Amino acid sequence: MAQSKVALRADTGLQARMLITVFLLGALYVVLIAALFASGASGVTIFVVAAGLFLFQLFASDKIALATMGVQKVSPQEAPELHAMIERLCVQADLPKPTIGIVNTTMPNAFAMGRSQKSATVVATTGILELLSPAELEGVMAHELAHVRHRDVMIMTIASFFASIAALILQFGFFFGGNSDDEDGPSTMVLILVSLVVYVVSFVLMQALSRYREFAADRGAAAITGRPSALSSALLKISGTMDRLPMTDLRAHSEMNAFYIIPANTKKSLLNLFSTHPPVEQRIAQLSRLEAQLQGAR
Amino acid sequence: MGFLDSLLGRTKAKPIAAQDRLFALTTAYISLETEHNITTRGQAAILFQPVDTADFDNIVTEMEELVRGTGEETGTTLTVETDSFGYRWMILHDPDVDDLVVGINAVSDALAVGGYGDRTLAAVFAFKDARDRQLYLIYNYKRGTWYPFVPAGGEQARDAERELQLKAILEPELPVEAELERWLPMWGIPI
Repeated sequence: MAQSKVALRADTGLQARMLITVFLLGALYVVLIAALFASGASGVTIFVVAAGLFLFQLFASDKIALATMGVQKVSPQEAPELHAMIERLCVQADLPKPTIGIVNTTMPNAFAMGRSQKSATVVATTGILELLSPAELEGVMAHELAHVRHRDVMIMTIASFFASIAALILQFGFFFGGNSDDEDGPSTMVLILVSLVVYVVSFVLMQALSRYREFAADRGAAAITGRPSALSSALLKISGTMDRLPMTDLRAHSEMNAFYIIPANTKKSLLNLFSTHPPVEQRIAQLSRLEAQLQGAR
Repeated sequence: MGFLDSLLGRTKAKPIAAQDRLFALTTAYISLETEHNITTRGQAAILFQPVDTADFDNIVTEMEELVRGTGEETGTTLTVETDSFGYRWMILHDPDVDDLVVGINAVSDALAVGGYGDRTLAAVFAFKDARDRQLYLIYNYKRGTWYPFVPAGGEQARDAERELQLKAILEPELPVEAELERWLPMWGIPI
Protein backbone atom coordinates (compact mmCIF):
# COMPACT_ATOMS: atom_id res chain seq x y z
CA MET A 1 0.00 0.00 0.00
CA ALA A 2 1.31 3.40 -0.93
CA GLN A 3 2.34 5.78 1.80
CA SER A 4 -0.57 7.97 2.77
CA LYS A 5 -0.19 11.57 1.64
CA VAL A 6 -2.61 13.02 4.09
CA ALA A 7 -0.80 11.39 7.02
CA LEU A 8 1.17 14.55 7.54
CA ARG A 9 4.76 14.43 8.61
CA ALA A 10 5.16 14.03 12.36
CA ASP A 11 6.28 17.13 14.19
CA THR A 12 9.13 15.64 16.18
CA GLY A 13 9.97 18.98 17.77
CA LEU A 14 6.47 19.31 19.16
CA GLN A 15 6.51 15.74 20.45
CA ALA A 16 9.90 16.25 22.06
CA ARG A 17 8.71 19.40 23.84
CA MET A 18 5.63 17.56 25.02
CA LEU A 19 7.68 14.64 26.36
CA ILE A 20 10.10 16.98 28.16
CA THR A 21 7.18 18.84 29.75
CA VAL A 22 5.58 15.59 30.92
CA PHE A 23 8.93 14.39 32.23
CA LEU A 24 9.51 17.62 34.17
CA LEU A 25 6.02 17.43 35.64
CA GLY A 26 6.65 13.82 36.68
CA ALA A 27 9.98 14.70 38.29
CA LEU A 28 8.38 17.58 40.13
CA TYR A 29 5.64 15.36 41.47
CA VAL A 30 8.11 12.73 42.67
CA VAL A 31 9.66 15.46 44.83
CA LEU A 32 6.24 16.33 46.20
CA ILE A 33 5.36 12.70 47.02
CA ALA A 34 8.70 12.25 48.77
CA ALA A 35 8.02 15.38 50.84
CA LEU A 36 4.48 14.19 51.63
CA PHE A 37 5.60 10.83 52.96
CA ALA A 38 8.59 12.30 54.77
CA SER A 39 6.24 14.59 56.68
CA GLY A 40 4.48 11.56 58.21
CA ALA A 41 0.85 10.81 58.88
CA SER A 42 -0.58 14.17 57.90
CA GLY A 43 1.13 13.94 54.52
CA VAL A 44 -0.43 10.54 53.86
CA THR A 45 -3.84 11.90 54.86
CA ILE A 46 -3.49 14.72 52.37
CA PHE A 47 -2.54 12.21 49.69
CA VAL A 48 -5.66 10.12 50.37
CA VAL A 49 -7.94 13.17 50.38
CA ALA A 50 -6.42 14.35 47.10
CA ALA A 51 -6.86 10.91 45.53
CA GLY A 52 -10.55 11.06 46.45
CA LEU A 53 -10.83 14.52 44.91
CA PHE A 54 -9.06 13.24 41.82
CA LEU A 55 -11.55 10.41 41.33
CA PHE A 56 -14.42 12.80 41.89
CA GLN A 57 -12.94 15.19 39.35
CA LEU A 58 -12.45 12.41 36.83
CA PHE A 59 -16.00 11.09 37.09
CA ALA A 60 -18.09 14.14 37.90
CA SER A 61 -16.34 17.29 36.73
CA ASP A 62 -17.53 17.01 33.14
CA LYS A 63 -21.14 16.66 34.24
CA ILE A 64 -20.84 19.64 36.57
CA ALA A 65 -19.14 21.74 33.91
CA LEU A 66 -21.72 20.79 31.30
CA ALA A 67 -24.52 21.73 33.69
CA THR A 68 -23.02 25.05 34.79
CA MET A 69 -22.35 26.13 31.23
CA GLY A 70 -25.92 25.43 30.24
CA VAL A 71 -25.13 22.73 27.71
CA GLN A 72 -28.20 21.18 26.13
CA LYS A 73 -27.87 17.76 24.56
CA VAL A 74 -29.24 17.71 21.06
CA SER A 75 -30.70 14.68 19.33
CA PRO A 76 -30.12 13.85 15.65
CA GLN A 77 -33.66 15.13 14.97
CA GLU A 78 -32.91 18.50 16.57
CA ALA A 79 -29.57 19.08 14.84
CA PRO A 80 -29.41 16.74 11.85
CA GLU A 81 -26.54 18.48 10.03
CA LEU A 82 -24.31 18.72 13.08
CA HIS A 83 -24.91 15.07 13.92
CA ALA A 84 -24.27 13.88 10.39
CA MET A 85 -21.08 15.96 10.15
CA ILE A 86 -19.72 14.60 13.41
CA GLU A 87 -20.70 11.04 12.49
CA ARG A 88 -18.65 11.21 9.34
CA LEU A 89 -15.68 12.71 11.16
CA CYS A 90 -15.95 9.90 13.71
CA VAL A 91 -15.82 7.30 10.97
CA GLN A 92 -12.79 9.05 9.53
CA ALA A 93 -11.05 9.15 12.93
CA ASP A 94 -12.39 5.72 13.99
CA LEU A 95 -13.96 7.10 17.15
CA PRO A 96 -17.25 6.15 18.81
CA LYS A 97 -19.81 8.89 18.31
CA PRO A 98 -19.76 11.35 21.23
CA THR A 99 -22.74 13.01 22.87
CA ILE A 100 -23.41 16.30 21.10
CA GLY A 101 -24.42 19.44 22.95
CA ILE A 102 -25.20 23.05 22.14
CA VAL A 103 -24.84 26.16 24.32
CA ASN A 104 -27.11 29.06 23.52
CA THR A 105 -24.71 32.03 23.41
CA THR A 106 -23.41 34.37 20.77
CA MET A 107 -19.80 33.68 21.83
CA PRO A 108 -18.35 31.52 19.06
CA ASN A 109 -16.77 28.57 20.83
CA ALA A 110 -16.55 24.79 20.93
CA PHE A 111 -15.12 22.32 23.40
CA ALA A 112 -14.86 18.64 24.23
CA MET A 113 -15.29 16.96 27.59
CA GLY A 114 -15.29 13.50 29.12
CA ARG A 115 -12.67 11.24 30.61
CA SER A 116 -12.76 8.59 27.90
CA GLN A 117 -13.48 8.27 24.21
CA LYS A 118 -16.75 6.49 24.98
CA SER A 119 -18.07 9.06 27.44
CA ALA A 120 -17.01 12.12 25.48
CA THR A 121 -19.24 15.12 24.84
CA VAL A 122 -18.56 17.60 22.06
CA VAL A 123 -20.18 21.00 22.43
CA ALA A 124 -20.66 23.92 20.05
CA THR A 125 -22.23 27.28 20.81
CA THR A 126 -25.04 28.66 18.67
CA GLY A 127 -22.65 31.53 17.95
CA ILE A 128 -20.12 29.28 16.24
CA LEU A 129 -22.82 27.39 14.32
CA GLU A 130 -24.03 30.67 12.86
CA LEU A 131 -20.61 32.17 12.25
CA LEU A 132 -18.79 29.40 10.41
CA SER A 133 -19.28 27.81 7.00
CA PRO A 134 -19.81 24.02 6.99
CA ALA A 135 -16.17 23.31 6.05
CA GLU A 136 -14.86 25.61 8.79
CA LEU A 137 -17.20 24.07 11.35
CA GLU A 138 -16.01 20.64 10.25
CA GLY A 139 -12.43 21.74 10.97
CA VAL A 140 -13.38 22.96 14.45
CA MET A 141 -15.31 19.78 15.25
CA ALA A 142 -12.41 17.67 13.99
CA HIS A 143 -10.15 19.65 16.34
CA GLU A 144 -12.44 18.79 19.27
CA LEU A 145 -12.59 15.14 18.18
CA ALA A 146 -8.79 15.10 18.05
CA HIS A 147 -8.83 16.22 21.71
CA VAL A 148 -11.13 13.29 22.45
CA ARG A 149 -8.95 10.94 20.49
CA HIS A 150 -5.79 12.14 22.28
CA ARG A 151 -7.58 11.69 25.62
CA ASP A 152 -6.66 15.24 26.54
CA VAL A 153 -9.17 15.55 29.38
CA MET A 154 -7.71 12.47 31.06
CA ILE A 155 -4.14 13.63 30.48
CA MET A 156 -4.72 17.14 31.78
CA THR A 157 -6.62 15.80 34.81
CA ILE A 158 -3.77 13.48 35.68
CA ALA A 159 -1.27 16.25 35.05
CA SER A 160 -3.16 18.53 37.43
CA PHE A 161 -3.54 15.90 40.19
CA PHE A 162 -0.36 16.70 42.07
CA ALA A 163 -0.72 20.40 41.43
CA SER A 164 -4.03 20.20 43.27
CA ILE A 165 -2.35 18.29 46.13
CA ALA A 166 0.17 21.11 46.35
CA ALA A 167 -2.66 23.63 46.37
CA LEU A 168 -4.40 21.68 49.15
CA ILE A 169 -1.25 21.73 51.26
CA LEU A 170 -0.81 25.43 50.70
CA GLN A 171 -4.36 26.03 51.91
CA PHE A 172 -4.46 23.60 54.82
CA GLY A 173 -0.82 22.81 55.48
CA PHE A 174 -0.53 24.91 58.64
CA PHE A 175 -3.66 23.30 59.99
CA PHE A 176 -2.30 19.80 59.44
CA GLY A 177 1.10 20.65 60.86
CA GLY A 178 -0.29 22.55 63.83
CA ASN A 179 -1.01 19.64 66.18
CA SER A 180 2.59 18.63 66.98
CA ASP A 181 4.83 21.60 66.33
CA ASP A 182 7.80 20.38 68.38
CA GLU A 183 8.74 17.33 66.23
CA ASP A 184 6.96 17.75 62.92
CA GLY A 185 7.40 21.49 62.82
CA PRO A 186 10.42 21.76 60.54
CA SER A 187 9.27 19.05 58.13
CA THR A 188 5.87 20.68 57.81
CA MET A 189 7.54 23.95 56.89
CA VAL A 190 9.63 22.09 54.31
CA LEU A 191 6.50 20.42 52.95
CA ILE A 192 4.76 23.76 52.56
CA LEU A 193 7.79 25.26 50.83
CA VAL A 194 8.07 22.28 48.50
CA SER A 195 4.35 22.55 47.74
CA LEU A 196 4.70 26.21 46.90
CA VAL A 197 7.50 25.50 44.44
CA VAL A 198 5.65 22.51 42.96
CA TYR A 199 2.50 24.58 42.56
CA VAL A 200 4.17 27.47 40.78
CA VAL A 201 6.39 25.39 38.52
CA SER A 202 3.66 22.88 37.64
CA PHE A 203 1.34 25.74 36.77
CA VAL A 204 3.74 26.99 34.12
CA LEU A 205 4.46 23.46 32.88
CA MET A 206 0.79 22.60 32.60
CA GLN A 207 0.04 25.71 30.62
CA ALA A 208 2.84 24.72 28.26
CA LEU A 209 1.53 21.17 28.00
CA SER A 210 -1.95 22.51 27.26
CA ARG A 211 -0.60 24.66 24.43
CA TYR A 212 1.23 21.65 22.94
CA ARG A 213 -2.00 19.63 23.11
CA GLU A 214 -3.73 22.42 21.17
CA PHE A 215 -1.13 22.28 18.41
CA ALA A 216 -1.46 18.49 18.36
CA ALA A 217 -5.25 18.74 18.11
CA ASP A 218 -4.91 21.16 15.17
CA ARG A 219 -2.67 18.63 13.45
CA GLY A 220 -5.16 15.90 14.26
CA ALA A 221 -7.98 17.95 12.75
CA ALA A 222 -5.94 18.42 9.57
CA ALA A 223 -5.33 14.67 9.38
CA ILE A 224 -9.02 13.89 9.88
CA THR A 225 -10.45 16.39 7.39
CA GLY A 226 -7.55 16.83 5.01
CA ARG A 227 -8.37 20.55 5.00
CA PRO A 228 -6.02 22.48 7.29
CA SER A 229 -6.88 25.82 5.68
CA ALA A 230 -10.56 25.45 6.56
CA LEU A 231 -9.56 25.31 10.22
CA SER A 232 -7.28 28.35 9.76
CA SER A 233 -10.14 30.25 8.28
CA ALA A 234 -12.36 29.24 11.21
CA LEU A 235 -9.72 30.38 13.72
CA LEU A 236 -9.44 33.74 11.97
CA LYS A 237 -13.19 34.23 12.02
CA ILE A 238 -13.51 33.20 15.67
CA SER A 239 -10.62 35.35 16.88
CA GLY A 240 -11.92 38.28 14.87
CA THR A 241 -15.29 38.04 16.55
CA MET A 242 -13.75 37.53 19.95
CA ASP A 243 -11.85 40.79 19.55
CA ARG A 244 -14.90 42.62 18.31
CA LEU A 245 -17.30 41.64 21.06
CA PRO A 246 -15.31 41.43 24.24
CA MET A 247 -17.87 43.30 26.33
CA THR A 248 -20.92 41.18 25.78
CA ASP A 249 -19.87 38.24 27.87
CA LEU A 250 -17.29 39.80 30.10
CA ARG A 251 -18.91 38.88 33.40
CA ALA A 252 -19.64 35.31 32.40
CA HIS A 253 -16.19 35.12 30.95
CA SER A 254 -14.14 36.46 33.82
CA GLU A 255 -14.71 33.29 35.87
CA MET A 256 -13.30 30.98 33.24
CA ASN A 257 -10.35 33.21 32.54
CA ALA A 258 -9.54 33.87 36.18
CA PHE A 259 -6.21 32.14 35.80
CA TYR A 260 -4.98 34.70 33.30
CA ILE A 261 -2.87 36.39 35.92
CA ILE A 262 -1.05 38.57 33.43
CA PRO A 263 -3.25 41.24 31.85
CA ALA A 264 -3.73 40.93 28.13
CA ASN A 265 -1.73 44.03 27.22
CA THR A 266 1.62 43.03 28.71
CA LYS A 267 4.54 41.71 26.72
CA LYS A 268 3.63 38.90 24.36
CA SER A 269 6.31 36.45 25.53
CA LEU A 270 5.14 36.67 29.12
CA LEU A 271 1.54 36.18 28.11
CA ASN A 272 2.59 33.13 26.15
CA LEU A 273 4.10 31.47 29.16
CA PHE A 274 0.86 31.73 31.07
CA SER A 275 -1.84 30.90 28.58
CA THR A 276 -3.53 27.63 27.83
CA HIS A 277 -4.00 28.30 24.14
CA PRO A 278 -1.24 29.25 21.73
CA PRO A 279 -1.75 32.50 19.85
CA VAL A 280 -3.91 32.17 16.77
CA GLU A 281 -1.05 33.36 14.53
CA GLN A 282 1.10 30.44 15.62
CA ARG A 283 -1.69 27.95 15.10
CA ILE A 284 -2.38 29.33 11.64
CA ALA A 285 1.34 29.21 10.83
CA GLN A 286 1.38 25.52 11.71
CA LEU A 287 -1.75 24.84 9.67
CA SER A 288 -0.34 26.57 6.61
CA ARG A 289 2.78 24.42 6.88
CA LEU A 290 0.48 21.39 6.85
CA GLU A 291 -1.41 22.78 3.85
CA ALA A 292 1.91 23.24 2.05
CA GLN A 293 2.74 19.59 2.74
CA LEU A 294 -0.61 18.54 1.29
CA GLN A 295 -0.37 20.73 -1.79
CA GLY A 296 3.17 19.61 -2.41
CA ALA A 297 2.19 15.94 -2.28
CA ARG A 298 3.42 13.76 -5.15
CA MET B 1 -4.48 4.18 19.18
CA GLY B 2 -1.72 3.32 21.58
CA PHE B 3 -0.70 4.87 24.87
CA LEU B 4 2.18 6.72 23.22
CA ASP B 5 -0.09 8.15 20.53
CA SER B 6 -2.33 9.53 23.27
CA LEU B 7 0.55 10.92 25.26
CA LEU B 8 2.08 12.60 22.23
CA GLY B 9 -1.23 13.63 20.72
CA ARG B 10 -0.80 11.91 17.41
CA THR B 11 -3.75 11.42 15.09
CA LYS B 12 -3.59 9.69 11.78
CA ALA B 13 -6.63 9.12 9.65
CA LYS B 14 -7.02 5.36 9.75
CA PRO B 15 -5.90 3.43 6.68
CA ILE B 16 -8.47 1.18 5.08
CA ALA B 17 -8.94 -2.44 6.12
CA ALA B 18 -8.05 -5.51 4.05
CA GLN B 19 -10.11 -5.75 0.86
CA ASP B 20 -11.25 -9.38 1.30
CA ARG B 21 -13.77 -8.09 3.83
CA LEU B 22 -15.39 -6.06 1.07
CA PHE B 23 -15.42 -9.06 -1.26
CA ALA B 24 -17.25 -11.12 1.36
CA LEU B 25 -20.42 -9.52 -0.01
CA THR B 26 -20.21 -11.55 -3.24
CA THR B 27 -20.71 -14.86 -1.41
CA ALA B 28 -23.10 -13.36 1.12
CA TYR B 29 -25.30 -12.07 -1.69
CA ILE B 30 -25.95 -15.62 -2.95
CA SER B 31 -27.75 -16.55 0.25
CA LEU B 32 -29.38 -13.13 0.58
CA GLU B 33 -30.92 -13.61 -2.85
CA THR B 34 -31.83 -17.30 -2.68
CA GLU B 35 -32.85 -17.66 0.97
CA HIS B 36 -34.09 -14.23 2.01
CA ASN B 37 -35.43 -12.70 -1.22
CA ILE B 38 -33.19 -9.68 -0.83
CA THR B 39 -32.10 -8.48 -4.25
CA THR B 40 -29.84 -5.75 -5.54
CA ARG B 41 -31.22 -2.51 -6.88
CA GLY B 42 -28.31 -2.48 -9.28
CA GLN B 43 -26.48 0.37 -7.59
CA ALA B 44 -23.60 0.83 -5.24
CA ALA B 45 -21.67 3.92 -4.20
CA ILE B 46 -18.37 4.74 -2.61
CA LEU B 47 -18.15 7.79 -0.42
CA PHE B 48 -14.97 9.71 0.15
CA GLN B 49 -13.81 13.10 1.32
CA PRO B 50 -12.04 14.97 -1.47
CA VAL B 51 -8.78 16.79 -0.79
CA ASP B 52 -8.49 20.14 -2.51
CA THR B 53 -5.20 19.59 -4.30
CA ALA B 54 -4.33 19.26 -7.98
CA ASP B 55 -2.71 15.90 -7.22
CA PHE B 56 -5.93 14.53 -5.77
CA ASP B 57 -8.03 15.85 -8.67
CA ASN B 58 -5.72 14.10 -11.12
CA ILE B 59 -6.04 10.81 -9.29
CA VAL B 60 -9.82 11.06 -9.23
CA THR B 61 -9.93 11.88 -12.94
CA GLU B 62 -7.67 8.93 -13.77
CA MET B 63 -9.78 6.71 -11.56
CA GLU B 64 -13.02 7.75 -13.25
CA GLU B 65 -11.49 7.01 -16.66
CA LEU B 66 -10.30 3.62 -15.38
CA VAL B 67 -13.72 2.64 -14.05
CA ARG B 68 -15.47 3.87 -17.21
CA GLY B 69 -12.92 1.94 -19.29
CA THR B 70 -13.42 -1.38 -17.50
CA GLY B 71 -17.14 -0.64 -17.40
CA GLU B 72 -17.31 -1.00 -21.16
CA GLU B 73 -16.63 -4.73 -20.74
CA THR B 74 -18.78 -5.38 -17.68
CA GLY B 75 -21.57 -2.93 -18.47
CA THR B 76 -20.96 -0.89 -15.31
CA THR B 77 -21.73 2.82 -15.63
CA LEU B 78 -20.56 5.61 -13.35
CA THR B 79 -22.09 8.83 -12.05
CA VAL B 80 -20.58 11.29 -9.60
CA GLU B 81 -22.31 13.48 -7.01
CA THR B 82 -21.12 15.87 -4.31
CA ASP B 83 -23.36 16.10 -1.27
CA SER B 84 -24.06 19.01 1.07
CA PHE B 85 -21.18 17.96 3.36
CA GLY B 86 -18.73 18.25 0.48
CA TYR B 87 -18.23 14.48 0.27
CA ARG B 88 -17.99 12.83 -3.12
CA TRP B 89 -20.23 9.91 -4.08
CA MET B 90 -19.05 7.71 -6.94
CA ILE B 91 -22.12 5.78 -7.95
CA LEU B 92 -21.85 2.58 -9.97
CA HIS B 93 -24.79 1.15 -11.84
CA ASP B 94 -24.75 -2.55 -12.73
CA PRO B 95 -27.34 -5.29 -12.27
CA ASP B 96 -24.63 -7.73 -11.16
CA VAL B 97 -23.47 -7.48 -7.53
CA ASP B 98 -20.11 -9.07 -8.32
CA ASP B 99 -19.37 -6.35 -10.86
CA LEU B 100 -20.42 -3.68 -8.37
CA VAL B 101 -18.05 -5.05 -5.74
CA VAL B 102 -15.21 -5.22 -8.23
CA GLY B 103 -15.95 -1.67 -9.41
CA ILE B 104 -16.13 -0.26 -5.85
CA ASN B 105 -12.89 -2.01 -5.02
CA ALA B 106 -11.27 -0.53 -8.14
CA VAL B 107 -12.18 2.97 -6.94
CA SER B 108 -10.88 2.50 -3.38
CA ASP B 109 -7.81 0.76 -4.73
CA ALA B 110 -7.03 3.65 -7.09
CA LEU B 111 -7.34 6.09 -4.18
CA ALA B 112 -5.07 3.91 -2.03
CA VAL B 113 -2.44 3.55 -4.76
CA GLY B 114 -2.54 7.32 -5.21
CA GLY B 115 -1.82 7.70 -1.50
CA TYR B 116 -5.29 8.83 -0.45
CA GLY B 117 -6.67 5.55 0.92
CA ASP B 118 -7.42 7.14 4.26
CA ARG B 119 -9.90 9.57 2.63
CA THR B 120 -12.24 6.67 1.83
CA LEU B 121 -15.17 6.61 4.22
CA ALA B 122 -17.70 3.99 3.23
CA ALA B 123 -19.24 1.94 0.46
CA VAL B 124 -23.01 1.63 0.22
CA PHE B 125 -24.86 -1.14 -1.63
CA ALA B 126 -28.56 -0.71 -2.38
CA PHE B 127 -30.94 -3.66 -2.02
CA LYS B 128 -34.65 -4.28 -1.75
CA ASP B 129 -36.58 -7.07 -0.10
CA ALA B 130 -39.54 -9.12 -1.34
CA ARG B 131 -41.98 -6.37 -0.29
CA ASP B 132 -39.94 -3.78 -2.20
CA ARG B 133 -38.65 -2.03 0.94
CA GLN B 134 -35.33 -0.29 0.44
CA LEU B 135 -32.39 -1.39 2.49
CA TYR B 136 -28.71 -0.67 2.40
CA LEU B 137 -25.59 -2.52 3.38
CA ILE B 138 -22.86 -0.11 4.43
CA TYR B 139 -19.20 -1.07 4.47
CA ASN B 140 -16.99 0.94 6.84
CA TYR B 141 -13.58 1.06 5.20
CA LYS B 142 -11.76 2.03 8.39
CA ARG B 143 -13.01 -0.89 10.41
CA GLY B 144 -13.53 -3.38 7.61
CA THR B 145 -17.04 -4.11 8.86
CA TRP B 146 -20.54 -4.16 7.41
CA TYR B 147 -23.83 -3.02 8.85
CA PRO B 148 -27.37 -2.80 7.52
CA PHE B 149 -29.19 0.52 7.27
CA VAL B 150 -32.95 0.57 6.70
CA PRO B 151 -34.51 4.02 6.51
CA ALA B 152 -38.10 3.95 7.72
CA GLY B 153 -40.75 6.25 6.36
CA GLY B 154 -40.56 9.78 7.75
CA GLU B 155 -37.70 12.10 8.40
CA GLN B 156 -34.57 10.59 9.93
CA ALA B 157 -36.25 7.42 11.10
CA ARG B 158 -34.69 3.99 10.80
CA ASP B 159 -36.22 0.58 11.14
CA ALA B 160 -34.16 -0.86 13.97
CA GLU B 161 -36.08 -4.13 14.07
CA ARG B 162 -35.43 -4.81 10.40
CA GLU B 163 -31.77 -3.89 10.81
CA LEU B 164 -31.36 -6.34 13.68
CA GLN B 165 -33.06 -9.07 11.63
CA LEU B 166 -30.56 -8.39 8.88
CA LYS B 167 -27.74 -8.56 11.41
CA ALA B 168 -28.80 -12.10 12.28
CA ILE B 169 -29.05 -13.01 8.61
CA LEU B 170 -25.71 -11.47 7.67
CA GLU B 171 -23.58 -12.52 10.59
CA PRO B 172 -22.61 -15.99 9.30
CA GLU B 173 -21.56 -14.51 5.95
CA LEU B 174 -20.17 -11.03 6.53
CA PRO B 175 -17.96 -9.35 9.14
CA VAL B 176 -20.81 -7.40 10.78
CA GLU B 177 -19.93 -4.41 12.99
CA ALA B 178 -20.30 -5.68 16.57
CA GLU B 179 -20.72 -2.28 18.26
CA LEU B 180 -24.23 -1.09 17.48
CA GLU B 181 -23.32 2.53 18.22
CA ARG B 182 -21.04 2.41 15.18
CA TRP B 183 -24.01 1.72 12.92
CA LEU B 184 -24.09 5.33 11.86
CA PRO B 185 -27.02 6.26 9.66
CA MET B 186 -26.59 8.05 6.36
CA TRP B 187 -29.48 10.26 5.41
CA GLY B 188 -30.07 11.20 1.84
CA ILE B 189 -28.11 8.38 0.24
CA PRO B 190 -28.26 9.23 -3.46
CA ILE B 191 -28.92 5.60 -4.55
